[in-house]
Amino acid sequence: MVAEAARGWMRPDGPTWVRWLGGGWTVLVFAFLYLPIVLLVVFSFNETKSGFRWEGFTLKWYEALFQNRVLLQAFGNTLMIGAASTLLATVLGTLGAWMLYRYRFSIHRTLEAFIFVPMIMPEILMGVSLLVLFVILNFQLGYLTVIIAHVTFTFPFVLVGMQARLQGMDPFLEEAAMDLGATPWQAFTKVILPYLMPAIASGALLAFSLSLDDYIVTVFVTGAESQTLPLKVYGMVRVGLNPQLNALSALGIILTIVLVLASERLKQPAKGM
Amino acid sequence: MGGAAFSDTAASHPASATAGWKAWLLLAPLLIWLGVFVALPTALLILTSFSKRDALGRVIYDFTLENYLNSFNPTWLTIFGNSIFYAFLATVICVVVGYPAAYTIGRASPRVRHLLLTLVMIPFWTSFLIRTYAWISILSEQGLANSLLLASRIFTDPLPMMYTPFSIVLGLVYNYLPFMILPIYTSVEKLDNSLIEAAYDLGAGPMRAFSRVIIPLTKPGIAAGALLVFVPAIAMYAITTLMGGGSNPTIGEVIQNQFTKARNQPFGAALGVLLMLLFLVSFLILSRRKNVAHAA
Amino acid sequence: MQNLRNLTLLALPFLLAACGGSKPAGAGASNEEKKLNLYCWAEYIPQGVIDDFTKETGIQVSVENYASNEEMIGKLLAGGGKYDLIQPSEYAVEALIQDQQLQPLNQGALTNLGNLAPEFRNMPFDAGNKFSVPFMAGFVGIVVNTDKIKTPIKSFNDVFVPAHKNRIVILDDSREITSWALGEAGLGINDVTPENLAKIRPMLQKWLPLVKVYDSDSPKTALQNGDVDIGVVWSGEGAILYNDNKKFQFVLPHSGAHLFVDNMAIPKTAQHPQNAHLFINYLLRPEVGKKVADEFPYYSPNRAARSLLSPEQLANPASYPPAQEVSRMQTFKDLGPQAAAVDALVTEIKAGGK
Repeated sequence: MVAEAARGWMRPDGPTWVRWLGGGWTVLVFAFLYLPIVLLVVFSFNETKSGFRWEGFTLKWYEALFQNRVLLQAFGNTLMIGAASTLLATVLGTLGAWMLYRYRFSIHRTLEAFIFVPMIMPEILMGVSLLVLFVILNFQLGYLTVIIAHVTFTFPFVLVGMQARLQGMDPFLEEAAMDLGATPWQAFTKVILPYLMPAIASGALLAFSLSLDDYIVTVFVTGAESQTLPLKVYGMVRVGLNPQLNALSALGIILTIVLVLASERLKQPAKGM
Repeated sequence: MGGAAFSDTAASHPASATAGWKAWLLLAPLLIWLGVFVALPTALLILTSFSKRDALGRVIYDFTLENYLNSFNPTWLTIFGNSIFYAFLATVICVVVGYPAAYTIGRASPRVRHLLLTLVMIPFWTSFLIRTYAWISILSEQGLANSLLLASRIFTDPLPMMYTPFSIVLGLVYNYLPFMILPIYTSVEKLDNSLIEAAYDLGAGPMRAFSRVIIPLTKPGIAAGALLVFVPAIAMYAITTLMGGGSNPTIGEVIQNQFTKARNQPFGAALGVLLMLLFLVSFLILSRRKNVAHAA
Repeated sequence: MQNLRNLTLLALPFLLAACGGSKPAGAGASNEEKKLNLYCWAEYIPQGVIDDFTKETGIQVSVENYASNEEMIGKLLAGGGKYDLIQPSEYAVEALIQDQQLQPLNQGALTNLGNLAPEFRNMPFDAGNKFSVPFMAGFVGIVVNTDKIKTPIKSFNDVFVPAHKNRIVILDDSREITSWALGEAGLGINDVTPENLAKIRPMLQKWLPLVKVYDSDSPKTALQNGDVDIGVVWSGEGAILYNDNKKFQFVLPHSGAHLFVDNMAIPKTAQHPQNAHLFINYLLRPEVGKKVADEFPYYSPNRAARSLLSPEQLANPASYPPAQEVSRMQTFKDLGPQAAAVDALVTEIKAGGK
């Protein structure tokens, strides 16, 4: 009896009640995260434009949205800039973290200090100084400058997350792989990279989220053709929250969730969800 | 510094080699990026902070200490205290709220882990402003929460929730929670089961196993999360203005106003440089103390 | 489709940056390429108006937005963008003229100037429309939720009383806030001197701790949601609230509301000044002016456009107050370096806490 109970306690996940508690808490956290999202989806079908009273179901905001060329283009720009800068930031952050972990450079501390700078520099200062820099370098303001700016303020987040992951890594993982005949490159791609994958995924998610929603830096470094959604949203909200924006967010969220679930299903065709 | 600032162990590989030319080559992307897009703008910023301005707000590169002298003013100190207070509170609540969730997600079966992690992030793929307006619709006097409270007859008058310290903290926690969950998840995910089992084998209860084994092992994640929440929260101002009504200015707002209102870019730059210096120095001290403690 | 094109464009910016040389301005309209780079306030020129202009002239308009005059001036002076047409407010026009950043307008090309109300042809910041043409105007006034507040409100002093503590929203704009206090103190709204700022400090110290919300972007939100009952807001916001519910009454303060005027102007670095003239003249058409006024319930300076508006629009007290009230109003002068002192004063009192 006692031994039986003890075995239950010995589960690495902890006793059942701990797992229930954790599970329940997590459900609450998700409820907290999704409460405003559910509301904005509901409002996207609300007849009235102002206020939060429910005044009947309508699809007119979706119709208006699909005719709003400017908003849709801004949405497209945002996704494109988000994808490009996430890709670059993830590569830069991962490679950088690994190199700083694996090798000793004479300028190690200086580098780490500078990695820190984009995280602590107030956004507006970064926006203005990057603008001045781009003018000096004679870069035309547009997609390129926006992507550069986004990579600059997102890659440190990737790098820092990666460093947390690397700290607990078995230092001899790489050595063991090489002892087994792997080249350093193979050891990196076959052993280290898979180990780093969770941090890469969460870093990329962070970078993408930061890029999607940036207003202050973008407003300084953008040109007319690279207008992003946050810039448009900011302008539209000034004259009152337009339910078209709710419609756009609702579509975005639902589409993302469907895509995520579908890709999970594709990964496990036999087991299903 | 960086994430390593908080680490108990040195951030580098125990067998880390002195860099050869190949290593420098692989480091080049980072070096170039840091040099051109981080170091140069920082240099420009520092230069600006020692400059003057004309009537139109143009920076005149003519040396002055005026901007720094103006920075040491009790008003800015009050504002700075405000900013630190809210950022600290948000960080602590994010750890308390986020840790159990990150732990549960990290210990879930590998199949659902990534799914859950993505689901944490998805709400943040909508615009900050739209999310915030959704929160306003919940917390307002005629909002959802108050309608429910009044309908339940617990309260007879609407409870003022919007534009209070409560709504500020709620806004901060909501917006920074994923920044806490993600890094904690990463360190939970790599926890070695055998270590926890060993703790249980040695007679530890779940509390002890948690405080003696799990927490220390996931500390780098907590530290990284605290960094990712605290640092941006200090300079943040959109949440305090929108959710808090803007009656308690934050340092981020003051800096912002130098550009968008006061046409005093050099002063904004000086405040920014001081803020960054403060961060750098405190992390330097933190990491040094850790290293000393470790050596002892 | 658009995005695919954008992706290919992504590869080119370096080249473009190198060959984006400037064309000589001046010559006949025919030799200017069919492009116009517009740098304007967000959500001010309806998309439909821009699309119609493109349809009619074949000129492609690319639009970039800003949220404050200072942001626009900063980016314009940095030289990053190439803007043909900007939309500065009155004090910004004054500052830009003084700094010789604007091109003199070719009055001959602006055949519709006569549609403007006479007072807008002779504004103190640019008499005779030499450099700028008014686009829209408005005021700052008081909105009262008459369901909640029964006492008569006539001036800013009536707003900031202890009975309204924590029920007030005001614009988050230091210049505006100080101008109200200057007005109540019997000083001119443009008499911003260190002495006068010291004079109004005690008044602001009484006023600001009563305020619950500072919001320049959408002050109507807090009023709509019932979180506050009285506010000092832009007239356009007041007009929207009034249209929404007549319980929101708009009051022009006795001590003198001020008039703000947003204008169209051409920077001296513009590459398509003739197209910019075409666009300004197009905006001055009565039917175009009406479209703008339909979308944004501010005060149209275009008398011909106003005559096309519905009686209901003209009866909105926030959009179109009595003419003699409007004629009494003053506009802001540029403060130059004093702007920093004004901002510091308000920030300091705010931070002083409640």
